[in-house]
Amino acid sequence: MSLLRCILGDLRGRGQLLRTFVTSPLSSTIRPTRRDVRPPQQVRFLSQGRDSAAAAKLKLRTRLLVTLLFGGGIMAVWWFVHWEKQQKLRRQRVEQLRQVALGQGTFSLLDHHGRRRTKQDFLGSWVLLYFGFTHCPDICPDELDKLSAVVASLDRDASLPPVQPLFITVDPDRDDVAALARYVQDFHPRLIGLTGTTEEVKHAGRDYRVYASAGPKDEDGDYIVDHTILIYLVSPDGLFLDYYNRMKNQEQIAESVKNHINSYVRI
Amino acid sequence: MTAPNSAERKACWDARDLLWKCLDDNGDRAESCQKFQSEFEAKCPAQWVKYFAKRRDFLKYKEKMQKEGFKPAEGPQEAS
Repeated sequence: MSLLRCILGDLRGRGQLLRTFVTSPLSSTIRPTRRDVRPPQQVRFLSQGRDSAAAAKLKLRTRLLVTLLFGGGIMAVWWFVHWEKQQKLRRQRVEQLRQVALGQGTFSLLDHHGRRRTKQDFLGSWVLLYFGFTHCPDICPDELDKLSAVVASLDRDASLPPVQPLFITVDPDRDDVAALARYVQDFHPRLIGLTGTTEEVKHAGRDYRVYASAGPKDEDGDYIVDHTILIYLVSPDGLFLDYYNRMKNQEQIAESVKNHINSYVRI
Repeated sequence: MTAPNSAERKACWDARDLLWKCLDDNGDRAESCQKFQSEFEAKCPAQWVKYFAKRRDFLKYKEKMQKEGFKPAEGPQEAS
């Protein structure tokens, strides 16, 4: 209670101060001599409660108004400081996550037209990345179909930037530029197939911790490559942001990508 | 050797599904599904035939595990 009285007293003081601010410039410009008249006027203001009911009402209203303004001001400042701190913590966390994210490295590979493409070419756009091979019996085509459907559904949302689908082979011995050109035709029109030397391809995969191991060859020299079958979401700064396994369906992936795009913070 | 294209993949998968259905309906007796087996082998690369055979075993095993749960093998009983 005494605290409240203290605050109110303080506010009253402030109210007076405010009134002095309002009246003094006016009075000084209009009539400098009025300065002599002011002290009695102030006294009247201070002791107005006794004078009339109307004045008391005015006083109460002013007090209330000032209290609200002042209290609101404190709340606003507190809220702003709190919000700013939260923002700072969030930025710090994003920064920390970025430092440990996969995909810090780079790659330099040939696309299915035979042009050299590096990771820098894709910076600034959202990428869905899949590692596989063209002789893959069922999983790769399934996943690439799913990936294509996800990209197509995101394309229909005009508020989102276009997502770039990429396919990097884990079987560069058989998947040359021509093989990839044939293969990507079956999927999303923007899908880019990437290949290179064994070393280049391995380097690209290592950056995302991709495992790939070719199985034994049969009489025709055919073999199956066992490999990581995840779809990676890469942010516009080229870092790994999320992954989707076989259990995730098209709708779940599209929803997740959309959320990532909407909540993404640029450095 | 070029990889199967989209139409060839589809033909292979369809042949595989027919064979698998036949095997399911006939209690996994391969002799009852000879026709589907040869069709499957004709439409799929040899490596895929082997792969899908293993894949079916795996899927069957997975289904069994999900339905019945894992039962640890009974080891040597400890004398009490």
